[in-house]
Amino acid sequence: MKNPLNKRIFREIKDEAGKYLVIFLLMTAIIGIVSGYLIGDESLKTAYDESFKKYNVEDGNFELMTKADKSLISSIEDEKVKIYENFYIEEKTEKISSTVRFFKNRKQVNKVCLWDGELPKYETEVAIDRLYAKNNELEIGDTLRIKNKSLKITGIVALSDYSALYRNNTDFMFDGVKFGVAIVTEDGFESLPQNHLHYSYSWKYNNPPADPLGKKAIDMGNDFMNSLSKKAVITNFIPRCSSNAINFAGEDMGGDRVMFITFLYLLIIIISFVFAVTTSNTIRKEANVIGTLRASGYKKSELICHYMAPSAIVLLVAAVVGNILGYTVLEKYISSAFLNSYSLTTYKTLINATAFIDTTVIPLIILLLINFIMLARVLSLSPLKFLRRDLKRHQRKKAFRLNTKIHILIRYRLRVFFQNIPNYITIFAGIFFASIIMVFGIMYSPLLENFEEKTVDSMLAPYQYVLKVPAETKTKDAEKYGAYELKTTGRDFVEEISVLGIHKNSKYFKTDIKDDGIIISSAYADKYSLKIGDKITLKESYEDKKYTFKINGIYEYPSTLAVFIDIDNFNKTFDFDKDYFTGYFSKEKIKDIDESLIASQITKDDLTKTSRQLEISMGNMMNLFICAGVGVFMLVIYLLAKIIIEKNTQSISMAKILGYNRREISKIYIHTTSIVTVVSLLLCMFITHKAIIAIWHAMMMEYSGWLPPEIPIITYVKVFILGVVTYAFVALILQRKANKIPMDEALKNVE
Amino acid sequence: MSYLELCNIKKSYGDGESKTEVLKGISCEIEKGSICVLLGASGSGKSTLLNIIGGIDNADSGYISIDGEKTADMNEKELTLYRRKHLGYIFQMYNLIPNLNIKENIEVGAYLSENPLDVDDILKTLGLYEHRHKLPNQLSGGQQQRTAIGRAIVKNPDILLCDEPTGALDYNTSKEILKLIEKINKKYGNTIIIVTHNDAIKNIADRVIKLRDGVIRKDYVNETKVPVSELEW
Ligand SMILES: Nc1ncnc2c1ncn2[C@@H]1O[C@H](COP(=O)(O)OP(=O)(O)OP(=O)(O)O)[C@@H](O)[C@H]1O
Ligand SMILES: [Mg+2]
Repeated sequence: MKNPLNKRIFREIKDEAGKYLVIFLLMTAIIGIVSGYLIGDESLKTAYDESFKKYNVEDGNFELMTKADKSLISSIEDEKVKIYENFYIEEKTEKISSTVRFFKNRKQVNKVCLWDGELPKYETEVAIDRLYAKNNELEIGDTLRIKNKSLKITGIVALSDYSALYRNNTDFMFDGVKFGVAIVTEDGFESLPQNHLHYSYSWKYNNPPADPLGKKAIDMGNDFMNSLSKKAVITNFIPRCSSNAINFAGEDMGGDRVMFITFLYLLIIIISFVFAVTTSNTIRKEANVIGTLRASGYKKSELICHYMAPSAIVLLVAAVVGNILGYTVLEKYISSAFLNSYSLTTYKTLINATAFIDTTVIPLIILLLINFIMLARVLSLSPLKFLRRDLKRHQRKKAFRLNTKIHILIRYRLRVFFQNIPNYITIFAGIFFASIIMVFGIMYSPLLENFEEKTVDSMLAPYQYVLKVPAETKTKDAEKYGAYELKTTGRDFVEEISVLGIHKNSKYFKTDIKDDGIIISSAYADKYSLKIGDKITLKESYEDKKYTFKINGIYEYPSTLAVFIDIDNFNKTFDFDKDYFTGYFSKEKIKDIDESLIASQITKDDLTKTSRQLEISMGNMMNLFICAGVGVFMLVIYLLAKIIIEKNTQSISMAKILGYNRREISKIYIHTTSIVTVVSLLLCMFITHKAIIAIWHAMMMEYSGWLPPEIPIITYVKVFILGVVTYAFVALILQRKANKIPMDEALKNVE
Repeated sequence: MSYLELCNIKKSYGDGESKTEVLKGISCEIEKGSICVLLGASGSGKSTLLNIIGGIDNADSGYISIDGEKTADMNEKELTLYRRKHLGYIFQMYNLIPNLNIKENIEVGAYLSENPLDVDDILKTLGLYEHRHKLPNQLSGGQQQRTAIGRAIVKNPDILLCDEPTGALDYNTSKEILKLIEKINKKYGNTIIIVTHNDAIKNIADRVIKLRDGVIRKDYVNETKVPVSELEW
């Protein structure tokens, strides 16, 4: 015989449809988003990882001053590599302010992935990168205009060696807006202005290293570069292991996994407690029934299962629906976040067992475990206690006294408060969690904007040039500087630190640097919590040589992790010539240096790329955060405050009979909750601030670079107001619920 | 050998000065298939004794043996199984499950037994057949109590324990309930223990036990048993 109690489970769910629906929707949304993220992330990552083989991605590329002839090629190929021509022409586009790098169709190495349309067949046709097309609103059939030429777009492609659109490998950030790659036919290539032709070659090792990013790969790259430099004049050399264009996307993917999963689990824990508290309330209501059932021989385990079933069923259904949504709609949504940042190859949505375990199995286990522990505790009381409705574990000796001078309504309120402390604790936890999510959602965009503003304000110079080789200029106020890249030590996560050599009495860097001292940027100090007097140890990128510096000062420079040292000290430290320098700071555009000698110009766009990319890739996710926060907030407060009303149905009814009016009743039962909510909210603003800073710090440690977590007060004001408004809405519902309690309730169920 | 045997049951609550001895050594034996009425003033320890017999409360000393099995030797799990197999409980409060209908409430009892009685039969015997699809709060107190009886007897328990089964009911309804209990006893031959403070009810018993101040004051076989229909108070 099937347990007839089972019939109750669905009635219970139906009777509490509102509660279960809200929890269901919230859980479905969260599980959907997280599984969508994990699935999308994993599918793209798999496609990305497979793309190396599928599209035969190079082991590196180099650029020569002049075209290599046959004998040079074969001489280079003696180094156990195979060389492929991969020439390109870079042109500025007209109408759109951008630069496009044109390649011939690649048939052997770095093959082209076609997203849409077809590859160009005629001289006047072009296939352009998907991300570049999207960012510049170009579609198949549109024309791409460059100097003296229009090209008809026939296809949308991804180049496997440009998954992150880095124009120069040394660029601070990739840029899919102002830089794009494109494929033209052989004839088309010939017809482009040849003065911007780059003799770029790709190579593949005959025996590639097992780990393409490992030490061996780095050594092989260095060896190859050394032997190559003896044979030809190289103007650019990028082994795959240090190519940002190839590796950056792969490194970024999977980065937010932990954040998403933590977010999910925190939410599940809150929901589990909400379930546990509401179920305990049901058990309290049904104490005598439970006592009777236990007395007639129902087992404890049967009752635990019975009371756990509704929440488990709701979560299970939510998990199923969430997973379905995850695999369909949300996976697309999440993937598009990645596809908005990276120019990835086509991919297939993969069934992901880990995602299922992370988003479905573990949450179910958490929920069941928390509920089991809570229920087992309550239900282990003897049947007799249930029959007597005496569910307190520890008998309170006496009702504690309250000073009789306190107004009776306030005393009454205090009693309600003390009676419901567990509910209020859960409310507090819920509000805390919800405000973290809301603050995160709300602070995100302003934080990025603020960062951009500050970065622009604190730029060292309006114009900053990086030269390929030292060259002189007569531009007024132009000032030489040196730049070098070192890597951090001491942590698994290694990132680059720019070391800038600055002239004494610099017009651009307005602090004196001691001859042998260093000053670090505020970004560096904030990220690594460094103070004046601390020592830092940095190392060479590809060698083990280490440098230790003592910090003499911190310079307000929020955009880059940088170390500033005196230029003479700089050249000495890194073994450069006495007069060596890397580039110029300048107040005006430098016009008297040949463009071919300029490697790049650092503009404010370069410095704010981190924030712009974060805005693009995470910005639309933030609205989800705000909604989830409001959802959790409402749910927790509503369910727990409802219990308080339900628990006191009798007393409210009695109070009505005694002649208390609605206002007095809501003063006692609802205002207490209101006060707790508002106080919790206020308190949470402070704790949340601390928590967010800590979370942000932990998060940033996994990223290169630094965005200072400066959260304006207004963010908290907004969250507070959002909280109060949300609560007002809940209070209204509670008020109606209290008003609806009939007076005969007190007389009906004598307990 | 008697079916139910109580041997020197003692029970007290509290300790130190506030210690009160509720049962001060109760011994008696009850025959299988008999109706036993347990009488006593309020606070005399009737419910306490019944709960000890039913295994939902423990005696401080002494033991109970039912059909040769001593409940004092059982752990909580075994006790639950024991109750499940052998006992039916009826309380003064009906304690029905509010969102199950009458038939389902009785099925809740049937589920516990390996060979339960037919639920429809019981519904008819109890006169609840036409109400079987109603929810408890749509029935009168008497009808609810009958449902509770149905839930207890459907598993055909060896012993039916009733704690003030008519306590909340009026004269006529009380009689109806007692008639039912009598009918069940005749039909299925269960041993029935009824706790009451209504002296008149003793007349329907095979056996009467009177408690006062935690000890048995009277314990006799009722030679002048009358059917419930002739009972008046
Ligand atoms: N959990 C308890 N803690 C302390 N004393 C208790 C407890 N349960 C019962 N008592 C005391 O034991 C005594 C007997 O209680 P019991 O419920 O058995 O009486 P009763 O005969 O069933 O009374 P009534 O006819 O009123 O139901 C009472 O004096 C009561 O105060
Ligand atoms: Mg009693």
